[in-house]
Amino acid sequence: MKNKDKRPFNKDILVIEDIGAECERIVAGIRENVLHRLHRIGGVIGISGGIDSSVSMALAAKALGTENLLGIMLPEQDSNGDSARFAQKLANKFGVKAITENITGALKGFGCYARRDEAVKKVLPEYDPDRYKMKIGISSSGLYTNLPPLFSLTIVDSKGNQQSKRLPPNELRQIEAASNFKQRCRMSMLYYHAERLHYAVIGTPNKHEVEQGFFVKNGDGGSDVMPIAHLYKTQVYQLAHYLGIPNEIIDRTPTSDTYSAEQTQEEFFFQLPFQQMDLLWYAFKNKYDPQEVGSVMDRTIDEIEKVFGGFERKIKTTEYLRMPPLSF
Amino acid sequence: MEQDVLTINQKVNQYVLQHTFAENHKIQDDTLIFKEGYFDSMGFIMLITFIEEEFALKTSDSDLIEENFESINAITSYILRKKTKI
Repeated sequence: MKNKDKRPFNKDILVIEDIGAECERIVAGIRENVLHRLHRIGGVIGISGGIDSSVSMALAAKALGTENLLGIMLPEQDSNGDSARFAQKLANKFGVKAITENITGALKGFGCYARRDEAVKKVLPEYDPDRYKMKIGISSSGLYTNLPPLFSLTIVDSKGNQQSKRLPPNELRQIEAASNFKQRCRMSMLYYHAERLHYAVIGTPNKHEVEQGFFVKNGDGGSDVMPIAHLYKTQVYQLAHYLGIPNEIIDRTPTSDTYSAEQTQEEFFFQLPFQQMDLLWYAFKNKYDPQEVGSVMDRTIDEIEKVFGGFERKIKTTEYLRMPPLSF
Repeated sequence: MEQDVLTINQKVNQYVLQHTFAENHKIQDDTLIFKEGYFDSMGFIMLITFIEEEFALKTSDSDLIEENFESINAITSYILRKKTKI
C-alpha cells in the first residue's frame, strides 16, 4: 500500500465518526452556497419519500430555516402511492411546507407514456398498459465478469405473472429517453417554483448516483446545490438516523419509482445491495489492494478486479453525463 | 474458410473501431475490448445486434460469455462457430 496513512480496509470504514460535525459542515455549506454564492433567499426541493431526498430536505431545513424551504412532491401516474405519503409525513415532521405538482398531464403532453409503450410493444407485443405493468432492469449475474450487463424488459400482469426479454438497442434507447421526460419535467417544475420565489434548487443525488452516472442529465442531475453528493449511501442512512428521519422512510428499499412495476435501484442499476456497493466503491476510489478487499468482502481477487473494472467502465462511459456543455 | 475468417474479422474489426470509446490505434485483434472498458451496456447490445444482423445468426443468453466476446479474434471465432452450426 503506497499511502501509509490509509486505514486497513474493513466493513466499518465508512462510518462517520463525528456525525454531528459532518451535519454542521453540510448545513454551513448549504447556507453559504445558497445565500452568498447563488444569492438566493431559500430553497426548493423535490421530495419523494426516499432516503436521499429526505436527508437532503432535513439538512436544507436546518440550513435555510423551514420558512425558507419548499418541498415539492412530483408524482405521475406510475408513481408508488407510498412516495407521496412518506414525503408528506417527512414534511410534517420537519415543519416544511409541502405542495404537490402532479406531472402526469405534462408527461402525456410530451408523449412520454405513448412513446415508451410503443417501444415496449415492439419487444413484447402482448403488452397492454391497462393490463400490464412494466420495468426494465439488469441482471446481477454480470457483476463478476468483464462484460457489461444487458438490459431486459419485464411486463407483469395483475396476477403477478411475468414475461422478460432482452432489450434491443433501439427499443432500450426509446424506453429510456421517453422515461427521462419524468426527471426532466420534475426539474422544470422545481425551477418554476425556485424562480418564482427567488430560491435555489436543492439537488438530492448521493455519491454513487453522481459518480456512477445514475441520474438523468438535465433532469434529476439539474440543480443548484447537491448537499449529499459526497456521501455514500451508508453514510446517508447514518445521517438519516441522526436527523430523525421517520423509520418508515429509513426502512424502505430504495426504488427507482420510474416504471409502473415495482423495481429496486439494485435491479435497475447498481447490481449489489448498497452496503456492499458502498464498500467496493470506496475500496476502488481509494485504490485498496483487491486481495485485501476480497478477504474482507469474502470474494476472490479475480472477482474484485472484475468489479473494479466495471466501475472504471461506468466512470468512463457515463462521463458525458457529468460534462458541462462543450464550447470550442 | 480462410476467406470467411478474413471477411468476418474485417467486418468485426471495422465495427469495433467505429463504435468504441477508445482511440482506434489502441485496439488490436487480440485486445481485450471489454476488460479495457471500451464498451458499455448499450455498446454491448449494439454489438450483439450488429452480429445478429450482419451474419444472420441468433445469440442465445448462454452465448453471452466473455470467451465469445472478449476480443475481435474471439468474436470472429464465435461467429464462425455459430455459422458452422447453422
